[in-house]
Amino acid sequence: MNDNIYINKSSEVYDAIVIGSGVSGGWAAKEFCERGYKTLMIERGRVVEHRKDYVGENKRPWQQPFRTRIDNLLVQEQHKIQQQCYAFTDATKHFFGNDRDLPYTTTPGTEFSWIRANQLGGKSLLWHRQSYRFGDYDFAANKLDGYGNDWPIRTPDIANWYSYVEKHAGISGSKENLPNLPDGEFLPPFDMTVPELAIKEKFAKLYPDRALIMGRAAHLTKPSKLHVEQGRVQCQARNECQAGCSFGAYFSTQSSTLPAAAATNNLHIAPNSVVESLIYDEKSNRVKGVRVIDNDDLSQREYFAKVVFVCASTIGSTQILMNSTSKKFPNGIGNSSGVLGHYLMDHNYNAGARGDFDGFEDEYFSGRRPSGLLVPNFYYKPDAKRKFLRGYALAGAAYREDWRSTQHQDGIGVDYKNSLKQAGKWKFGLHAQGEMLPRFENQMRLHPTLKDKWGMPQIEFDCQFSDNEKNMMIDASEEAERMLIAAGLSNVTRYVSNGAPGLAIHELGTARMGSDPKTSYLNKFNQSHEVPNLFVTDGASFCSTAVQNPSLTFMALTARAVDYCTQEMKSLRM
Amino acid sequence: MSEQDKLNSASSIAPTLDNQSRRQFIRGFSAMVGSATAASLLSTHAIAVAASYTANADSALSKGKVFTQAQLTSLKQVCNLVIPKTSTLGAGDVDTHGFIDNQLFYCHEALEQQAMVQVLSLIEQMAQQQFSIAFNQLAFDDQFHMINALDRGQGSFTAQQRHDFKSLKKLICFGYYTSEVGASQELRFDAIPGGFKGSIPYSKDDASWGSKGLFY
Repeated sequence: MNDNIYINKSSEVYDAIVIGSGVSGGWAAKEFCERGYKTLMIERGRVVEHRKDYVGENKRPWQQPFRTRIDNLLVQEQHKIQQQCYAFTDATKHFFGNDRDLPYTTTPGTEFSWIRANQLGGKSLLWHRQSYRFGDYDFAANKLDGYGNDWPIRTPDIANWYSYVEKHAGISGSKENLPNLPDGEFLPPFDMTVPELAIKEKFAKLYPDRALIMGRAAHLTKPSKLHVEQGRVQCQARNECQAGCSFGAYFSTQSSTLPAAAATNNLHIAPNSVVESLIYDEKSNRVKGVRVIDNDDLSQREYFAKVVFVCASTIGSTQILMNSTSKKFPNGIGNSSGVLGHYLMDHNYNAGARGDFDGFEDEYFSGRRPSGLLVPNFYYKPDAKRKFLRGYALAGAAYREDWRSTQHQDGIGVDYKNSLKQAGKWKFGLHAQGEMLPRFENQMRLHPTLKDKWGMPQIEFDCQFSDNEKNMMIDASEEAERMLIAAGLSNVTRYVSNGAPGLAIHELGTARMGSDPKTSYLNKFNQSHEVPNLFVTDGASFCSTAVQNPSLTFMALTARAVDYCTQEMKSLRM
Repeated sequence: MSEQDKLNSASSIAPTLDNQSRRQFIRGFSAMVGSATAASLLSTHAIAVAASYTANADSALSKGKVFTQAQLTSLKQVCNLVIPKTSTLGAGDVDTHGFIDNQLFYCHEALEQQAMVQVLSLIEQMAQQQFSIAFNQLAFDDQFHMINALDRGQGSFTAQQRHDFKSLKKLICFGYYTSEVGASQELRFDAIPGGFKGSIPYSKDDASWGSKGLFY
C-alpha cells in the first residue's frame, strides 16, 4: 500500500473518523471512502501489511522453533490470558495482545477472558470467519419473551445490507430455506465428508426441524469476478487462516475492505494511536474529533472530523465512550440513559457431546477445511415448557483420528509405528453455541483508580453466566448426546464445561440500540440518541446475542449506518 | 537416593536457574523494540529463533540442556525402540532426542523436565539391577522387552512410572511426527492442498495426513 496513506500529525478536518480497523472499522472506512468522503481510520496498534507482515504464514512444523508450541516463559510473561484462545499458536501469537500491557480486573467471584488483537486489521485477522444472518426470530427474541429491549430493526431493514456485504466479502454456504436462519448470497459450500453426509441424512429423518448444514464462512470457495479484481483467489484449504492468508482467500480488513478504501484515495490511517476520548462541543452538541495517546512515546495529539464512527470492538468502543466525559455527560458521552456499559454478553460454548462413527474405513478427505457444520438453533420459538429462555446452535465436524489420538495406545516398535501411520476411527461431535441473555447486572465499568500505560482507566468486568445459560448448557449436552446416539454413533460422551464469558470472543452489548432513548444508547441506525454525529456500529450496539456468530451483522449494520449517515450529511442535518 | 539420582536432580536444577536469565531476556527484548513498526512483529520470533531447536545429526554426541550426554544416548535408543526405522527413518535417526531436550527446556516446566530425567534414570537403574550393565549395552531384545514392559506398567514398574513414560512417549511422537521425515515421508504432507475434497479413496496401509495446519 502507498506509504503516504499513514499519517501521524494532522490538523485537517476529515469528513469522517473511524476508530478501529477490524471487521466494523474496515467496512465503515470503505463505505465512506467509496462515497467520496475523506476518511481517517484510527488504529491503536501497529501497521500490519497484507502478505508482507504475515510472518507466521506457511511455515512447516519442522520450520518452527518449537514445532508450533511457544516458549512457556513468553506465555507466562506476556500472554497468560490470550493463550486461552484456540487460535493462539506460534504462528499467530504476534496478532494477539500483550497481556502485560493490557491489564484489566474482574469483580471478585467473576471471571472474564478478554482476547485482544490490537493491530491494523484487528480481529478480522483472527476470527474463524463463520458468517450468518440474524433472522426475524432473532431480532424479535427480546420482544417475544420480554427479556431485554426490543431490537429497533427487523430483517427487511437489513436484508439488502446483508446481501451487499456478502457479495463483497465472499461467503460460502448452502441455501437451505430454513425458518430460523435466513439464506444469503452464497459462493458454493465446502464439501461435507461422506460420514457427515450420512449423519445429515439420519438427522433429516429423525429430526426434521434440526437440519445439519455446511457452515457458512467468509472463504472464497469460488471467487467471483469482483473478488479476483480485489486480488483474491480461491481458498487453498490450508486452515492456517489466523497466521495470515496471502491468497486473500478469506475476508479480512487487509484482504477486502482496506484495499477498496485505499483505491479511492480518500483514506488515511493513523496507526499507533490509542484513542483516549472523544472531543465534545457542548454548544453545537457535536463530537469534534478525538484525543489520542501515541502507542509508543505516549505523546498526545488530536484528530478532527465532521462525524465519528466508533468501531473499536465492543469493549474498546464502550471504554472510549465512558472515558469521554463532559459537564453535560459526566457518565460518558451520550449516556444520559445510564445504560452504557451494561448488558454485556458473549456466547456460551460450554457443552456438547462426541462419539465414534463406525465404518467408512475406505473414506478419506484431502485438504484442511477451514469450516465445520452447523445445526442452527431449533429453539427459536419461545416455549414456556423449557427450563430456560432462548436456544443454541450445535456446531461440529467429522474427522478421522491420526497419530495425535492413536499415540496413546500401548505398545512400541514397528507395529506401533505402522499403526500410527494409518488413519484411525471416524469421530463426530456437536458443540453448543448458546445465547446469553442481556442482563443489566452484567457490565463493564471504568476502574476508579487503576490505569493502563496510556493513562486509560482500566476496565473492570462484572459478568457471569446466569442459571438460564447454565440450564441451557445442560439441555444442550443432553440433546447433543441423544442426537448422536440416534444417528448411530457409539461411545458417545457428553460434557458441560465452565469456561468464563469472553472466550467465545463474541463480546456484545454495552451500548445497545433501541427505540427509547431512556433505555438504549443508539437509535435504529447505530446513531447516538443524544449526539447526532456519533455512531457505534460494532458489537456494542447489539440488543441480544442470538446464537449466530456476529461478524456478518457487524458488517451489515456498519454499511447501513454509513449509508444513513452520508444521507444525513448531504441533507445538512448532521 | 542413588548417586545417579543425585546427579540427575543436580542437572535438573540448571534449567531453573537459567529461566531467570531467559525471563530477563524476554522482558529486555520487548522493552527494546517498542511497537511502532512491523519489525516488532518479529521481536518474539527473534527470541524464539535464538532459542530454537535446529536439527543436529545427533545431539547425543554432547551434553544437552536438560539431559546428560549419557541420558541423551539412552533417550536416542528409546526413541528408536518406540519408533524404529522401517521404510522411513526412526525417531532416534532424526534426532528426536535432541528435539525433546530443547523442547523440554523452553516449553515445559521444571517439574516436567525433572520427571523426564527420572524416566531415563529409572531405565538405567533397571538395566543395572536386572543385567548389571548399562541400558545402551543391552541386547536389542532386552531393551525392547524392558521398554515395552514400562509402557504397559508390567513387571516391577509402577503406575506412576508407566504414566511418566507415556509423557515421554508423547514427546517422542510429537517430535517425530512434526519432523520433516515424520510429517512428510512417514505421513503425507500437503502444505497447499489447493482446495478441500470431502471424499477420496483410502486403503488400510495408506499414510494419514501429516499436515495439520496450525493445529498440532
